[in-house]
Amino acid sequence: MSLLWQVVVNGILLGGLYALMALGLALVWGVLNIVNLAHGALIMLGAYVCYYLFTGLSIDPFVALPLTMLALFAFGYLLQRYLLNLVIRAPMFNTLLITFGIDVVLTYLAQIAFSADFRTINPTYAGDNFALFGAAVPVVRLLAFAVALALTIILWLFLARTRLGRAIRATAQNLIAARLYGVEPRRVYALTFGLGAALAGAAGGLYGVVSQVNPYIGTSLTAKSFAIAIIGGLESPLGVIAGGLFLGIVESLTALYIGPTYADVASFGILVLVLIVRPTGLLGRTT
Amino acid sequence: MVMAAAPWIASPSLIQFGISTLLLATLAQSWNIIGGYAGYASFGNSVFYGLGSYGTAIAMVQWHLPFGVGLALGAVLAVAFAVVLGLPVLRLRGHYFAICTLALAEVMIAIVSNVDIAGRNTGLVLPLLRGDALFYEMAFGLLVLTTLAVLWIARSRFGYGLMSIRENEEAAAVLGVDTTLYKVLAFALSGFFAALAGGIHAYWITFLDPVSAFDIGLNVKMIIMAVFGGPGSILGPVVGAFLLSGISEVLSTEISNLAGLFFGVVIVIAVVFMPRGLADLGRRFKQFGWHYFAENVRVHRL
Repeated sequence: MSLLWQVVVNGILLGGLYALMALGLALVWGVLNIVNLAHGALIMLGAYVCYYLFTGLSIDPFVALPLTMLALFAFGYLLQRYLLNLVIRAPMFNTLLITFGIDVVLTYLAQIAFSADFRTINPTYAGDNFALFGAAVPVVRLLAFAVALALTIILWLFLARTRLGRAIRATAQNLIAARLYGVEPRRVYALTFGLGAALAGAAGGLYGVVSQVNPYIGTSLTAKSFAIAIIGGLESPLGVIAGGLFLGIVESLTALYIGPTYADVASFGILVLVLIVRPTGLLGRTT
Repeated sequence: MVMAAAPWIASPSLIQFGISTLLLATLAQSWNIIGGYAGYASFGNSVFYGLGSYGTAIAMVQWHLPFGVGLALGAVLAVAFAVVLGLPVLRLRGHYFAICTLALAEVMIAIVSNVDIAGRNTGLVLPLLRGDALFYEMAFGLLVLTTLAVLWIARSRFGYGLMSIRENEEAAAVLGVDTTLYKVLAFALSGFFAALAGGIHAYWITFLDPVSAFDIGLNVKMIIMAVFGGPGSILGPVVGAFLLSGISEVLSTEISNLAGLFFGVVIVIAVVFMPRGLADLGRRFKQFGWHYFAENVRVHRL
């Protein structure tokens, strides 16, 4: 029983981070209709930015997070403004392919610049943990979970309440109508992609604290983000949180009861089933 | 003719390069059937390839059957997979189809790594057969066969049905195309050829494990080659495969760690400037001249 409880706690903590990973992907997909296959590579870049801020300038990783987000925001903004905007009206397959190309380029550049070694962001309190009803809760994982949740809620409020957030949602619903109301899509698209990249950067920094980073982690993280975005639907950040928690718990339970090698069968199997049964996502709107 | 005679005139390393390129060209061409003609961007063709590899390997290693029977078993597995999973999965459109097939590939890696008869995650070792010339001829024959199939598709009622599905699926259905049947057939045909390529590759390399057999990177490679050459054209994917493999081979001998980077850059540039591939460039370059590239950007930019 206590083992089950521990596994559920682990799953929830992992799920919060998963949700943050998927959030940027879901935002870009929902608004720009680009499935960004380079999303995982952006997460990887964020992890390295955070790692070098920590080891090079000895900035605490949680303090370095805003800086990481800023760097990734700038990178994402430029990428969309000067490259992806060029193909945005091409058939969906071309945008899929170009983001894959970007993924390959970023992975190789990262391998050349950072080497293929595994890196971990290891602050002094990395080993600390406390007990919660008999389950051990690592402090860094809880912090990562809290930051992930906070960022998700901030994004939700931003999209719902601010002028720019409304412009982004309007663009997602109807580009032509938004244009008529004075939205400048080139900037809004670049801003949205920048936001998605910033969220990926934050997720990367947190991932570097709770796990290990190398240049090749991107692909599987993209696939996971994808599964979560599908399970949660693209309409609301809150759905993405639910999707992240769901996947985190399912993976942890599968690893315990069926075997660690089956964890991926569970997550991708669920993805396939959800797609076949409800293509708009488990929590998505029915069309 | 020259290509068929290559084993008698070329050097051993060139023949090995030829075998892998011929197999890649076959894969690009098989992807062309479902991705180029039917317009369904499959990321699951590496599953067919993997099933072909494993079908051959299991038949030869575990049951001691001849290579031909193994190839047939792999092809049957792939076609069965295409029909059983194609029925629900081909109902999905656009991104959703692409991602679902991507997830299927991941699921297959995880399943095969846990199956005893497939050697779990350590893989299987096939009996050794020396004779690159034989493998070259088999790969060459398979590419010719696949291209003939595509040639038939391009000219047949079946092919026109697929193209109408690509352009507008609802309209195709209204005009009396049995869209489900056509799509599943295209998926199965694509799987059949990919599986044969997988079987030949497995016997040639004599070793396979789940991660390399169901490698999604391979799937992406075939897509890039097909798209670079011209999806939905008869020779485009073959030309694309030979050009890209050739350049990548030269680069990897010159500067080994930049070959992968080169692939990424080619994808990005090709998508921006020639999104319809070499085939379209060849057709319309005369008309537009150098404006062809600017025209592509103008049409698709925001």
